[in-house]
This record gives sequence, C-alpha cells and structure tokens, in this order.
Amino acid sequence: MTWVTWRQHRSEAIGALAFVGALALLLLKVSGPMHAQFSQDGLAGCVAAGARSGGCLSEIQSFMNKFGFTFNQLLIALILIPGLIGIIVGAPVLASEFEHGTWRMAWSQTVPRTRWLVTKLVLLTGGLVALGAAMTVVFTWYRGPMDQLAGSLTWAAFDFEGVVLTAYLLCAFAFAVLAGLVIRRSVTAMVAAFIPWLVIRGVVDLELRPHFRQPLTLRLPRSANIRFGPNMVPPMTGHLGDNVLGVTTTASHHLVSYQPADWFWRLQFIEAGLYLALAVAALGAAVWLLHRRAT
Amino acid sequence: MTPALRADRLGKRYGHAWALREATFEVPSGAVVGLVGPNGAGKSTLLQMTIGLLEPTEGQVTVFGATSRANRADTLGRVSYVAQDHPLYREFNVSDMFRFGRRMNPTWDQALAERRMATLGIPLRRKIKRLSGGQQAQVALAMALAKRAPLLVLDEPVASLDPVARLEFMREVMAAVADTGLTVVIASHVVSELERICDHVIVLTGPRQGARAEVSGVVVQRTDSDRHSVAVVRTHPGRPDPAGWQAKPVGFEELVLAYLQHPASADLVPGQADPRPGSVAKAVSR
Repeated sequence: MTWVTWRQHRSEAIGALAFVGALALLLLKVSGPMHAQFSQDGLAGCVAAGARSGGCLSEIQSFMNKFGFTFNQLLIALILIPGLIGIIVGAPVLASEFEHGTWRMAWSQTVPRTRWLVTKLVLLTGGLVALGAAMTVVFTWYRGPMDQLAGSLTWAAFDFEGVVLTAYLLCAFAFAVLAGLVIRRSVTAMVAAFIPWLVIRGVVDLELRPHFRQPLTLRLPRSANIRFGPNMVPPMTGHLGDNVLGVTTTASHHLVSYQPADWFWRLQFIEAGLYLALAVAALGAAVWLLHRRAT
Repeated sequence: MTPALRADRLGKRYGHAWALREATFEVPSGAVVGLVGPNGAGKSTLLQMTIGLLEPTEGQVTVFGATSRANRADTLGRVSYVAQDHPLYREFNVSDMFRFGRRMNPTWDQALAERRMATLGIPLRRKIKRLSGGQQAQVALAMALAKRAPLLVLDEPVASLDPVARLEFMREVMAAVADTGLTVVIASHVVSELERICDHVIVLTGPRQGARAEVSGVVVQRTDSDRHSVAVVRTHPGRPDPAGWQAKPVGFEELVLAYLQHPASADLVPGQADPRPGSVAKAVSR
C-alpha cells in the first residue's frame, strides 16, 4: 500500500517539493535586504534591551517604515496557499477513482477498501505534515527579524508560523477527501471543500482567535498616544511582541486590550487543535461513509 | 459437491426500490455461466454482492460455501473480478499495474501475469493509456487471473471491444478455464458470445426474477404478430405441429430473448437445472 500511495501521488510530491523550493528562493530574495538591514542597524541589541532608548526607537521606526508593509501586509497574498494545496491533494483521492471507474478495480482486490483508504490517508497526512512543516520553517525564517520587533501574534506571522499552517493544510485536505467521496468529481469537490475552509479561516481569524483567551487589559493615562497595528513598534503596552486588539477610552483612561507575546504557543495549540478536530471529523466521516457504501 | 456460487433468495434494495429480489440459483464448480438481462435487471448488483463490493439487503450469496460479505478480505480474496470497461490506472505502466496487484493481493502470481503479457506481446513498460482497448482488457484479465481466486467474475468484458479483440479475450478466458478448472460468471449483452462459451445461463428479467436455465432444454412462449408470427412453445416429442404452422428447433438467442420479453410466461422453477423433463423447444412460424 505504501508503494501504491507513492505511485499514485509521486507527481504531487515532486510538485510540492518544487513549490517549497521556489517559495524558499522567492522569500530569500525578498527578505535578503531586511535581514541585512536588521543586522547592519544592530537591531538585535535594541530588541534585547527592550527597545527603550531613543536611538533604538528611531532606528526601529525607519526599519518599520521600510519593511513593514512588505512583511506585515503583503503576506496576505499567500494566505490561501495551505488551503489550495490541501484541496488539490485531497479531492482526487476518492473522486478520481469514481471519475475513471477504477474504484471497481481497486476495491475488488483482497485489501478491503477501508484499509486501502485509511492507509492512503495516513501516508498522505504524513506527507502533508512534512510539507506544512517545511513551509512553516521557510516562512518563520523569512519573517525572523520582523518577528523579533513586531511579534508573532499578528496574523501575518501567526497564520504562517508554529503549528497552525500545517493544521490549515490538513483541514482543507480532509474536507476535500470527504467532498470527493460525496461529489465524485475532483474539481467540484475542490471548490466544495475550499469554500467552507475559507469561511472557517475567516471566522476563526477575525472572530474567534481574539477570544480563545480573555485578552488582558492595560490601563493607560489619557495622555498616551493611541497607536496600534502591526507596524507600531513597540506597541502601546511598551513590551515588544504584544498584540494590541483594541483601545477603549473612558473619561480618565485608555483601556488597552491585548494579547501578551508569550501567549503565542498557547494560542497556536488552541487554533491548531480546532482545525485538527475538524480534519479528524471529516476524515472519519469519509472512512465511515466509504464503509457504509456497501450496504 | 459445494457449488462454486450459490444465491439464496438474494435481494438488494436501494432506498425504496429493489434492484434485485428473490434471486436463487447455483453455479456448479468448473462451470462457465452467462448472466443475461436487460439494463436495470440487477446484473451488476448481483455481481457486486458476489464479489464483496456490496452487502445484500436480504438473502445471501455464497462462494464455495463461504458467505460473501462486503468489504472483507476473505470474501474479496475468493473472487477475481474484471469490471465493465476493465478500468485500470491510465498513468501506470503494465508492470506498475502488476505491482499494484501484488501489493493488494497476498495470493498474487507475478510469473503468471508476466507470462501472459509475453505471450500476448504486450510490453510491461508501456503505459496503460498507450495500449489498445483489447490490450487493456487483456491486462485486466491477467490481473484477475494472477489473483489466483477460484471464481472469476466478468462484467460486460467485451462490450467495448472490436470483434477480433472479443474473440481473443474470450479465447484467453477459455484457455484459463481449461488450464485451471476456474469457475467463470460472465454478464453480457452479447448473447451469441455466451452461446459459444457458456455451459449455463442465468436470465435476470427484473427485480423479482432469478432463474438459471440449461442452454438446451427450456421452453417458453413468445409471439410475434402481423403477417408472420413466431411462437416459441413448450412441446413434447412426437406431438404433431399445429396445422398451418411450420416448426423448427429453437435457437439459443431466440430462447433468451423470449425469456427477456415475457418473463411471466417462463414457468421455470428458479434454481432448477431441468425445468420439465421431456419438453422440447420449438420455434413455430406461420
């Protein structure tokens, strides 16, 4: 079965490898100047010192003016990639067997279809985890200096680092496998899987993630400047890497609601767990439905 | 002796509609049996329940005494199957397909599969999509035979093939039967093809019927009208032909068609080999 899975998906594997290679090269080229500037300005020292001195602040300001947009906003162009990879790999697993009629040949061999599917899913999941990890390493390295200044909690970092990127990938994959079984057409199944994936991504990013944990609140005097956003370094809390969600102004104070920098892994695991639960549910449903098809 | 295949009041329902019902028959070991019936009569359903792709709603089907259960390795391993249009992975080459067969079947006979390709002159390195339809059918047949199962089930194996490829395919099937004593069930619309190679036919006329008939010896009725009428009648030796009618022996194809057109008139006891001793089939025309 290992060989069978490899033989059926080796062109995808080669494509994925080429994709990660091309991505790494592209990001290397784009981020080269930023990495160079970061070390040239000695910003690592500023970060270590907590970016409190005036000299550091102006250095950081000019650095952010130069690279902030590219590294904190432009990454949105890549936000769909895990979903696209997931559906491209997942949809044909069952749909192409139906499209070409080969299911009658594949499932009448001695290995029962459920074992056939489970083995394939385990192996493909392994491959996708490796791919997700490789992409995460590339993105994390690419954003390295920016992470030290702006933190990893803004979506431009959070969605590409840690473990969530792999979880997004697996979730799209699982949706597409299930859609392929139900719809039996690869391309339609891709679309049918991508839409709910995208909706969930949007809802989680915008609505749920700020509430995974009750955000902390910092009380600042009215005299403080209200300024937040990924390019505001250091943030209003004064601590590098904190993610300011919003500011409420009362008669006497600004109330700054924020996620502290050291919540990164906790939030990562919560979000990844959510997507992995969806993925497991979809794959479980696919195996169960395939088994039930016989009755 | 345990029959190779036995269906006992076998039925399959999809939602509210019965695809097959009350099918009861036996196929003796070593027989070559045709399965005929109009589209929608439940041929594929019957075959899929036999090979373990589908679970019966009622009744059961046994292969060499063991009940077929869907999605179970023991059932799947007992039957070789060539599906309609002999589907194969188009991007694989022939030896990839054989490697697939080896990985998917513990009883796989690689030498047999490769020997067949050498005999037929089909290169192992060639991609499936570069083979002719006849060659693809031969690869599918080689895979089924290399599985070394005692029962071979073919679903419309020659429907998409040209006459020469049909002949070659059937010749290979019959050679395998002669070599190994394999039992074969062939579903086909090509009745003339079945007449040449089958010992028995099973005629499926609708969801409720299921009957096996010896190729020679069953008599049913059928009437064509207008200026020329043909009736297939059940008669006895020595009985004179009716006045004004001309009698001739009934052909196999006529017999099967008569069944398919008038299933109700076929007073055949399901599952019995010889319907009525002493009866003779005659096509009578005026």
